[in-house]
This record gives sequence, C-alpha cells and structure tokens, in this order.
Amino acid sequence: MVRKPAKPAPKPKTRAAATPPAAKASKPSKATPAKARPPQPPADVTASDPSLFAPLTPGEIADAIRTLTEDRRVAGMAKVGRYRVVATEPLVVKPPHWIHGHRLARVVVYDYAADRCVDACVDLDAGVVAHLDITKAQPMLSREEEAIATSIATLDDRVRDQLALGDAPLITMHYWGKDASDPAYARRSAAVLFGRHGGHPSLVAVVDLLDNQVTSVVPASQW
Amino acid sequence: MSNVISEANWKFHWRLTESAGIMIYLAEYRGRRVLWEASLPYVTVDHQRDALEVGSDGIDTRGPWWVPLGTRTLVGNVRVQPFRGGVELSADFTAGPYHYLQMWRFHDDGRLCPWLTIYGAGVHDQHTYHPHWRFDFDLDGAGHDALEAFADGRWQRVEEEGWFPHTGEADDNGFVWRQIDFGSGVAVNLRPHTWDDAELFAVRYHDGEWAPFSPRSTPGGASFPAAYVGREPLDDHDVAVWYVAHVHYDHSFPYTAGPWMKLDGFGR
Repeated sequence: MVRKPAKPAPKPKTRAAATPPAAKASKPSKATPAKARPPQPPADVTASDPSLFAPLTPGEIADAIRTLTEDRRVAGMAKVGRYRVVATEPLVVKPPHWIHGHRLARVVVYDYAADRCVDACVDLDAGVVAHLDITKAQPMLSREEEAIATSIATLDDRVRDQLALGDAPLITMHYWGKDASDPAYARRSAAVLFGRHGGHPSLVAVVDLLDNQVTSVVPASQW
Repeated sequence: MSNVISEANWKFHWRLTESAGIMIYLAEYRGRRVLWEASLPYVTVDHQRDALEVGSDGIDTRGPWWVPLGTRTLVGNVRVQPFRGGVELSADFTAGPYHYLQMWRFHDDGRLCPWLTIYGAGVHDQHTYHPHWRFDFDLDGAGHDALEAFADGRWQRVEEEGWFPHTGEADDNGFVWRQIDFGSGVAVNLRPHTWDDAELFAVRYHDGEWAPFSPRSTPGGASFPAAYVGREPLDDHDVAVWYVAHVHYDHSFPYTAGPWMKLDGFGR
C-alpha cells in the first residue's frame, strides 16, 4: 500500500522576522559619510561567494554555540543546561538580505527543560544571533541522544528478556507516534533496533528521551 | 578532493551535510546559474501491518522513523566519477537494515538526475520509503520565476503555493512540472519516475524556511514540507520545490527513486 500525506490545509504563516539585532544598528561612521561611497550595484545571487558554504571549522562551531548560549532569549535554556546540540552547519542567505555575504552558522538545539526546539542563525562576522525560531518541532536526534537511547534500551530488563543470543543494537532511529494514543506522539523519542549484524532486526525498543525510559518493546516482525 | 567540479558544461560545488546527504550548491550550466542549492533532507520510513489482529481496528498506529543521511551514516567516501557524456557524484549510506546510494548525475546536454537507490529489507516487508528532495532553483537569478504543472492536456501556471501530486498526466516528453524564469525564458523540466508515486510541493523562498532538520513539526501539525505551504503567490517570485517519492518495498529491490530533470533554453 502506498501512502501519501493528506493534502496540507492552507494556513497563515508564522515566522520570526530576521531583523538586525540592536548591536548592528550602529550609526554611519563620520569618517566615511554615505554620500562619499561609490554607488553599489544591487547584490545578486549569481555573484555569491562559494566559500560561505564551506563546512564550519571546530572554532566556528564553538563560536556559534557560545554566541547562541549567551543570547538572552535562550538564557533559561543555557542556565538550566539540559539541552543537546543537534546540528551546526554553515548557512548562506541570499541577497538582498542584510546578512548576505556574512559567514553564518545554523545551530539547532533541543531544550529538554522546556521541551522545545531552538533553531538559530548565528552571524559569525558580527557575533550575534541573527535569526531565532523557538518551536515545538522535533529535530533529528543528536549523536549523544542516539547513544543514550541505545544505552537505555540495552539495559532494560524487558528488552534483555527478549533478545536472542548474538542480538545487539543495530541502529537508533528518530521516531514519533502517528496519533495521540502513542506516548511518542508528543514526546521526544527514539526507536532502537536490535538484531544480528547483517540479518533482519528482531526487536524494536521505543525510548522516551524526556524520562529516559523504554516505553514499548515490540518484536520487529510485528512493528 | 576539490569540492568544485567543472565538467560536461556544468560547474557546481558540493559538500557532505550532517543530515541531508550530498548537497549541491551554486550550480551553473554553460556559465548560467541554475541552482542555489539542492539536497536530500530526509528519507522517512513507515510501516504497514502484514495481518490484522483480533480486536484491531486495522488502522496503522505507528508513526514513521528516520535516520540522517550524512557524516554519521556515510560508508566510505563521496565519489566523483566521469561517465560518457557527464559526471556524477555518489555516496553510500548505511543505517542498520537500511542502505542507500545517493547520486547526482550531470549530463552535458543539460540533464540532471538527483537519484537515490534504496537497498535493504527493513524490519519487515511491509514498509514504505519517502525520500524528500529540496531544490532551490535560481534560473538566471533568484527572482522572476514561475511554476507550471501539466494538467488537462496543457501546461498551466501555478498561481500560489501548494501540493501537486503526479496524477499520471504528462507532456509528450514525460514532463509533469517545470520552473521557468520570466526574464530569460529558461526553464527546468521535471519528470518523475513512473513508480515513484511522486508529488511536488512548491513554496515561495523565504529566509528562515531552510530545510528543517526533521520532517516532524509540531504534534498534530503538518510535517515538512507541507508545513511550509501557505497561500502566497508564486508568480514572478523566487520559488523552492520539494520532490517527494513514495516507494513501497518489494522483493525486486533495489529501487532507484528520484526525478529526471532537463534544462531548456540555455543554448547549445
């Protein structure tokens, strides 16, 4: 059976405005008055700098995360410290946006304390968070979350009781339930697949990452 | 290995992402801009029941799952290989019982093939793969674009954002959708694989609506890219399209999903 998502209903869009932060709103320098500047041609996507797409260096990643966690809008998250950095990747914005041409990092964090996703664009040139979305979306699992889910499932008695000789964790997937009857519908969850390497999986364990416990153990053939 | 490739009339850049496979960016054909960036943000897998249990209402209750195709699932290296009449990028990804081969094939006649070969038997036979590609075409620049869909025997302009499933209708060359640049008249035509059960989502490009790091939006809300679809007009704007395939597993696997694209109007 082939499945399709239902046709999406039109909805009003909500998106955070990517407005420049206060720190960027500096006055024009008196040494270079605006009228002395040569006229600039309108920026165009065809003249974009490929180096802005280059992978972030370890230093740029550290800089981006530091900048985000120092932003007052996520101060609560940083203070409690129950968050996971899910991804840090370069981001390039098209002209004529005001941050076009800047070195940007996209930082996605899952905040366990508030059960929310923080999706930020950090301007590494200016050292500010240029765009911030805080939503109930569920980003992919970080490598640390995958490891935690695997560990929780492996130590669970119900899982151990059902494993056959040679079964081991094969992969940890980001999972969510289809309807509200499934605890994984609204809670951050992972599915850990067990089985023999190179063979069919034998068991699926669903792990609730908010409570760090296994909520369901299902033979793989019945998943 | 350089991440800039100039071959077969194409010039493009690539990089391996955390979760969206190999990303192509700033692609040009015969010196003219075609793509800002394109990637494979996710491949979700959902399952169907093989048999009904006593007392079951027959409704599948389990949701989908997925694992990122990127640095953590890459097997070996990204490969760059010339072939007769073109050049291709490819990479293998493995996640437990799931195996994928992602490809970007660039032909010197202006064809572009973003494909995904799906291997592996999953946890059981009753499952369906949903690869999602995102293409941000900037044909001769970002603006002045429009989308057309072939329906009722002719090409029809799409006025606003929406969901456009492949109904089986196509023009004489098999094309179902096309994005056109008003300024220069160039176009990119999209032909779905016959067995992809494909659909296209078209949205107006907005900063902030980058490919999310998961298809899962809020509980109860539409998943991405459907969650980005509103009622904004597309005509004469910067348009981003998502191609989504729905591939049910069968024993004739492996299966190669993905559209076949052809540029038009870029000269000889």
